[in-house]
This record gives sequence, C-alpha cells and structure tokens, in this order.
Amino acid sequence: MGVVQATLEESAAKYKVSNCIDCGKCTWGCPVSRRAGDFSPRRVVEDYVGAGNLAGDRGLWECMTCGMCTQLCTSGVEFHEFVREVRPSLRRLISPETTHSDVFQIIQNVSSFSHVKPRTNNWVTVDLEIDPNSSTLLFVGCTPYFDVVFRHLRNDLLEIPRATVRLLNQMGIRPRLLEHERCCGHDAYWLGDVDTFDRLAKANIEAIRATGVDEVVTFCPECYAALKDLYPRFVGDLGFRVRSATAMIGEAVKSRRIMLRDSGKTMTYHDPCRLSRHSNIIQEPREILKGMGGLVEMPRSGSISACCGVSCWVNCGASAKEWQLDRLREARATGAQGLVTACPKCLVHFSCAMHEHSGQNQGEVVPVSDIHVLASGSIRGE
Amino acid sequence: MSWKPKIVAFCCNWCAYAGADLAGISRRQYSPNIRILRVMCSGRVDPALILKCYEQGADGVMVLGCHPGDCHYLAGNEEAQKRVESVRELLGLLGIDDRRLLLEWVSASEGDRFARVTNDFVARIGELGPLGGGASDS
Ligand code: FES
Repeated sequence: MGVVQATLEESAAKYKVSNCIDCGKCTWGCPVSRRAGDFSPRRVVEDYVGAGNLAGDRGLWECMTCGMCTQLCTSGVEFHEFVREVRPSLRRLISPETTHSDVFQIIQNVSSFSHVKPRTNNWVTVDLEIDPNSSTLLFVGCTPYFDVVFRHLRNDLLEIPRATVRLLNQMGIRPRLLEHERCCGHDAYWLGDVDTFDRLAKANIEAIRATGVDEVVTFCPECYAALKDLYPRFVGDLGFRVRSATAMIGEAVKSRRIMLRDSGKTMTYHDPCRLSRHSNIIQEPREILKGMGGLVEMPRSGSISACCGVSCWVNCGASAKEWQLDRLREARATGAQGLVTACPKCLVHFSCAMHEHSGQNQGEVVPVSDIHVLASGSIRGE
Repeated sequence: MSWKPKIVAFCCNWCAYAGADLAGISRRQYSPNIRILRVMCSGRVDPALILKCYEQGADGVMVLGCHPGDCHYLAGNEEAQKRVESVRELLGLLGIDDRRLLLEWVSASEGDRFARVTNDFVARIGELGPLGGGASDS
C-alpha cells in the first residue's frame, strides 16, 4: 500500500485555495455593482494592485460608502474607508456628479463660512418643551433644508425634529438647541472635501462646547455618525457624549418609560447604513416598532440591510431609482403595511422613488414613514 | 471704506437683457457694481445657481425677467417666482438677509426701469453692507 496521491482538484478543494480569488462577496453585496456600469470593489482593488494607482476611476464616486462590502468581507478589508481616504486626491482629477444642481454641497459650504450664522430652528412649535439651560442638546442637522427642497415630495419633514422633541419630553428630557447650528459635515467628509469638513466640525464642536452641555442627541443617523465617530478622529475627546435619539427612544419603549399605542399595523424597517452597519444601532429601532404593533423583517435587514440607493447627494439616476423601487417591492413582499426608516435622507430617497414612479408602480410599493414621527403619533394618552 | 458691493444680475434674454441694452443705448447711467448674466429665461435660474453666487462672494443677487404674462416661454417667470421663494427660505435658514435677493420684471422697452431697479438694489446692498459683515445677517 503506497501513499494515495491526491488529484490536483482534490488538493485544491481540501485546502480551499480557490477562496483566495473567487470570494467576491464585496462585489456581490455592493449596491452599485448591481447597477449598469462596471463598478466593482474587487476590480478597483485589482486595478490598484496591478497599476499601482487609481487612475481617476469615476466608479469611486459611485460608491455610496454604505459599508456592505466591509460587512461581508471575511479578510477584514475596510473598502468603504479606503474609498473615502482616496477621494481627496481623486477630487483633483475628477469630480463627483452632484444631484439637485449641487444645492446641498453649496449649502454645506456656505454653512461652513464663519461669517454666516445659520438659523435652523424654524420648526419649533409651542407645544415642544425646550429648555435653554438643559444639559442635553438636540443637534438638528439638515432636515430643515430638505424640507424646503423636497416639500413637493412630502410636506412632513419638519415633523421629524418635532416628534423627536416630543419623545424626548416623554422621557423627561427637555433639550436645548444651538442658536447657530452648522451642517455636521458628514457628506463633505465622505466625499473627500476635508477642508469643508474641518471647518464645520471645528465650528460645531466649539459652539457645542460653549454651551457646556454633557450630551448631544441626534435623530439623523449621519449627524450621529459624524459627531460620534468622525469628530473624535480629528479632535480626540469631545468633552460631551453623543447619543442617538432613535436608540434612546427604543430603549425607553423597551423599558416602558415611553408607552406607545398599538397601531394595529405591521411595519417593516429599513436600516439606514449609518445607524446599522456604521453604528451598530440595530435592535433599538425595532423595539419602537414592536412597541407599536408588529414588525416584520425584509430579507435584507440589520447589518446586511440594503442601502437606500444614494449617498451624499451624488450619482442619482434611473438605476438608483430602480434600486429604490426594488427595495420598496421587497418591503411590500413582507406583507407589511408600511416601510419605516430612521434617516431623513432614506425617507427622501424612497419618497422620491415613489413620487417619480407612482404612475405605473403604485400598487407595487408601500408608504414610507419616519420612525420618530410614527412613534410620536402613537404616544399613549395623546 | 473701499468695499464695493458685488452683485450678480440674472437677466432673461428677451426682456430684462434687452432692457439693460436699451438703458445703455439711451445712455442711462446705472451702477457698475452689477455683473449681468444672460439666461434664456428667468425660469432657468435654479435655487442652486442663486446660492452659488453668495457662496462665491456676491453680496446681492437680482433675477430679472419679463412681466407676468410676457414670458417668452409662457410661464418661466412664474417658475422663477417659486424658485426665488424657496431660495428666500434657504437664505433664512442660513441666516442671510433675504433683502439680498431681488426678483423684478423689466421689459425690453424699459431701459429707465432697468436703471432704476438696478440702482435701487445697489443702494440697498450698500446699506446692508458686505455679506456676513453687515448687521442684517444673523
Ligand atoms: S423669457 Fe423672460 S422671463 Fe421667461
């Protein structure tokens, strides 16, 4: 009996050598790779390894930095952070294709000028308990600007900050607001516009520190990720805590500090990437929906949630809309009566997809709403 | 006191721009502080374009089109009115005084009116001061 020589195929299978090259999970999960065009995280890396540079790859602007590739990678590649970090030099070769005639990039930039003093608290109504001496500050973000630009899509965007305050009030928190709040800079950071981000971050940190608050609360997942994760990358310890209003509300619903009425409806939840993959806030929003009746999950949810299709107001087009409609169909297929999200931008994107396509596809999609607004409308005793 | 207001004037091709021409031909004096940008219709001036002017250092922006009912694309000036209204809201959020934005109608035969509207606006911006440096922006 001699040693049985394994065939080449057997050895390859035994030592799983093909895993080295045929993984491709990043590209499989990438929302941009699903669209027309040839973007693929894997190919970007292959080109880089081969040519040693990125040669002004336009595809790098199409990446939505949603982090799905990083989530799925078994080799620990943080591809979306790689994309972000090469964008400042990419900007010099080729610029991103912005949406809405660049209006949000302009607003962001103007908002960073020291001589401009934004006033975004136009949504405050008399029933909201705001306390100028509070140790908790609510950071509002760009929703008031979205309200102006997207009112034709939905006229209830300002209900989001209002609902957040109502829910915080239920928890005994009467937040204060910044007199002059600037854009958080999230988009500038992810688009490689480091100078604008730097100005915005510094101005906001300075303004928040000047109030002496212990904590900042945000309802926008991008403001949350910016304040919580990005600002400390530049200035280290902020001197205040950053919390997600959505997470706080979820915990309060779970511990019954906030009592919600059963709406009699079953909803499905779309995880915003900045809240789920980037910040690991996955369970808390689900507690809110469970507290209001039923929650049913879409196949792509939690840490492998599908992206809403557009990020940082760049690269929106027919294929992005198709991606969004596909997500709405996925929501409908769960049997849920509505799709709920926790991000003002996801909300705008899905509302746009519905609005633009309501003609032929009305029956296929589901109504979309914001989780804070929904919860606030269901506070027991209201 | 060497500051001079920088003002952008979007003029529609068919009325306001022709009005500016007439003002020139008739030797009406108007302020040299405006930079005229000819557009086919006032309705073409989208909110981002207006905001871009302030971003790039303008102290004031004028949008000048045909009188209501006279737009050569039927209702472009009505569109301009809506757009200017939303820019006013955005300016409010950014803390920029919305008196820095003017929408007016000037016909091709109104050279005098063009000069008057322009001079009045330049004077207004002169009073408001430079964007950001003026007391009116909060
Ligand atoms: S052509 Fe003059 S406003 Fe439309």
